[in-house]
Amino acid sequence: MKKYLKLWYMYSIYTSQVGLQSRFGAGLFLIGKFLRFGIFLFFFYVLSAKVDEIAGYTFWQMIFIFSTFNLVDIASQLLLREVYRFRGYVVTGSLDYFLIRPISPIFRFLFGGADILDFPMFITSAILVIISLFHVENVSVLGIIAYFSLVSNALLIALAFHIFVLAMGILTTEVDNTLWLYRDLLQMGRIPTDLYTQPIRALITFAMPVGIMITFPAKALFGTLSPFLILLSFGVGFGFLIMSYLFWQFSLRRYSSASS
Amino acid sequence: MKKYFWVAKNTWEETLTYRFNFLMWRIRTVVLLLSVYFLWHSVIPEGSRLFGYTQNMMLTYILLTSITNAFVISTRTHEIGDEINSGDLSNFLIKPINYFLYWFWKDIGDKAMNIVFSIAELTILFFILRPPVFIQTDFTFLSLFCISIFLAIVLYFFVNILLGMIGFWSPEVWAPRFIFSIILGFFAGNYFPLDILPNTVFKIFEALPFSYLIYFPIKIYLGQIGLPEILNGFLLMVLWIGIFFIFVQVVWRKGLKAYTAQGR
Repeated sequence: MKKYLKLWYMYSIYTSQVGLQSRFGAGLFLIGKFLRFGIFLFFFYVLSAKVDEIAGYTFWQMIFIFSTFNLVDIASQLLLREVYRFRGYVVTGSLDYFLIRPISPIFRFLFGGADILDFPMFITSAILVIISLFHVENVSVLGIIAYFSLVSNALLIALAFHIFVLAMGILTTEVDNTLWLYRDLLQMGRIPTDLYTQPIRALITFAMPVGIMITFPAKALFGTLSPFLILLSFGVGFGFLIMSYLFWQFSLRRYSSASS
Repeated sequence: MKKYFWVAKNTWEETLTYRFNFLMWRIRTVVLLLSVYFLWHSVIPEGSRLFGYTQNMMLTYILLTSITNAFVISTRTHEIGDEINSGDLSNFLIKPINYFLYWFWKDIGDKAMNIVFSIAELTILFFILRPPVFIQTDFTFLSLFCISIFLAIVLYFFVNILLGMIGFWSPEVWAPRFIFSIILGFFAGNYFPLDILPNTVFKIFEALPFSYLIYFPIKIYLGQIGLPEILNGFLLMVLWIGIFFIFVQVVWRKGLKAYTAQGR
């Protein structure tokens, strides 16, 4: 464990140095991320001037869900950025080079390049979660515990999805589009999944569990999520993780090393 | 002129070659459209009015952003910066071809494909969601809508060319585009009609060129702007096109002087 933590630290330092090589570009990307964040907050603010509730959610509950979405989305980008570079390793044959090393290849491809540019946004999202938490009424300690447990479960699902993308990458060399589709589907969680009508709601709650990742943790905090759905969320989380890991092992056995 | 037609046709075929990439791009576009659609669907319940919009007017606005985006915003000009940085621009400088017309027709090929998909997507969404939409039947508004779309295409083309020419001075061509796309989505009215904003903010937005790319054409379609305001808007669009055209010419000449064909 200690070895992997040290490795993660070293990978992160190296990729951060590369990321900050062009300070102009890094600065612009950072400004862009904050701008997008601020624009949506401003949009909610404009709405709140005329609307007290949206489908039963108060303004601060909407902000809470939005900041939870950002927290989960940014955390997975911050930690799992290396997956975005995976296709290059497959098509060039560099994958072989990582497979023969005395470290877990899946660790290398998931955590081999944390994106430091996401760190300021991660902190901002976390602060917004705390601020909006204080404005949400009737929050219990149990609700807070359930919220953080379900956010951890959401990160587990995000991890599972990234493993699935890696496995797909080996079998088809297709990585980018699958990742971006996941990101866009996750963006549907910026608003509560209750706002969508069927069959889209069912699709984004269970097939691509955006609802379980974003809306369910928030609803658990508001006290509107049943214990059964909380348990089901954990079941889906672990199920996704196990299935994606099995898929990863399956794809690895079929890796032909054709490009090397 | 025939050679430019072939540029458009080639772009169309190029998109078909990488059809999976394009399909995924379109799916992503629909996903984003759906989240905005359902938000407004919940914000304005049936039979009520908010910010001066009924539900059907607002949902028509949101759905029309898809087709307006296909006409106006879809572009290939984001490749210009890389072309300059890689030195591939040299290939065009020695050919009997107008570089700007080449990209304009490349854009037309790209837009054509996006329009076809956008129409197909909206048709599917119409059957699934059965949205209460507003159909404009007044020929005057429909004609003025078409004119505004054409002017918006030209205006956006020059803005994009200008962004691409950053490549003459900097290898960082994607970061400015990233910021631009975020600003564009908001300032052009991609997520909501700009007139729901506080009046002072709206007046500032109205003076900028972005609002004429999405918001203004759709407002014409909805018949929510009077004829004098439409003509005034057209005048401003022509003015912005003129400004950007001159700016593009000046920057192009200066850029060529700075161009070193590095990478070739």
